[in-house]
Amino acid sequence: MASTSIEIDQEIPSVTKSITKKSIDQFEGVGILERENIHNSPELAQRQLGTDYVLASGRMSVTFAAESLRKFFGPDVFNHSGTVNLKFLRPVKDGDSITVTGKVVHQEPVEKGTLVSVDLVCENQNQDTTAVGQGTAIVP
Amino acid sequence: MLSQGTKILKYDDLVIGEQLGSFEYVLTQEMLDDFREAVEDPEAPFPTLAVKHDASALNMVYKDTTGGVNAGNEVEFFNPPIPGKKITVSGRVADKYVRRDKPYLVIEATATDEDGRLLERLRTYQMKKPDEVGKKWHPQA
Repeated sequence: MASTSIEIDQEIPSVTKSITKKSIDQFEGVGILERENIHNSPELAQRQLGTDYVLASGRMSVTFAAESLRKFFGPDVFNHSGTVNLKFLRPVKDGDSITVTGKVVHQEPVEKGTLVSVDLVCENQNQDTTAVGQGTAIVP
Repeated sequence: MLSQGTKILKYDDLVIGEQLGSFEYVLTQEMLDDFREAVEDPEAPFPTLAVKHDASALNMVYKDTTGGVNAGNEVEFFNPPIPGKKITVSGRVADKYVRRDKPYLVIEATATDEDGRLLERLRTYQMKKPDEVGKKWHPQA
């Protein structure tokens, strides 16, 4: 049976990210579809959500979580077998600071090694949870 | 830039398993650099997350006048994309369901590059009553 030096309850490196109008716009600008959405159009966000701000894409939080997991597992492992599964609970917007933390909760042998599962939490600067979920990777 | 679809999206008419847009694009170094700057991570390997393959596949086919809120994402990473390579994306309707009187649409996209390397599979859970979320966030409104 495959085993790892990873322990249950072990914490993964946390990352903290500043959300700015510029970072939201830049993230959206990578897209290839010309389309207004609640991340780039204040008018649309107001009309659809009733907010007076645009939202940061949830995929930004996915990227932050992936960075934490990559630093924990290493890029050779995480970039080729990693997963991130996040449920978004609160809006993230310009001026927020998002911190991702995580803790190993499970390990099990699989065909290519050991599947390690990590519980993930994203919090803003007020310690409000903005997203929760799980990440995994297969450690050879 | 690709253009948005013109067929009006009607939630009730969507079929689970329905194929969405399939498209190709070349990932540029500029896209990778912009992505890394946006997420403050000089080693971030998957700018494809910001390209939003699944939402792009949906919106290439449909014009979504209702909108939606991203309730969750599931992503599987297989191989980081390489700048300069052509990426092929295929999308589909993975699921749809109603929970607590709110309609959810699950869209999925799989990306491979021109060498046949599987890059990423992404699923998004869209809640198709965005005004309900706005009320939850701003209950006084």
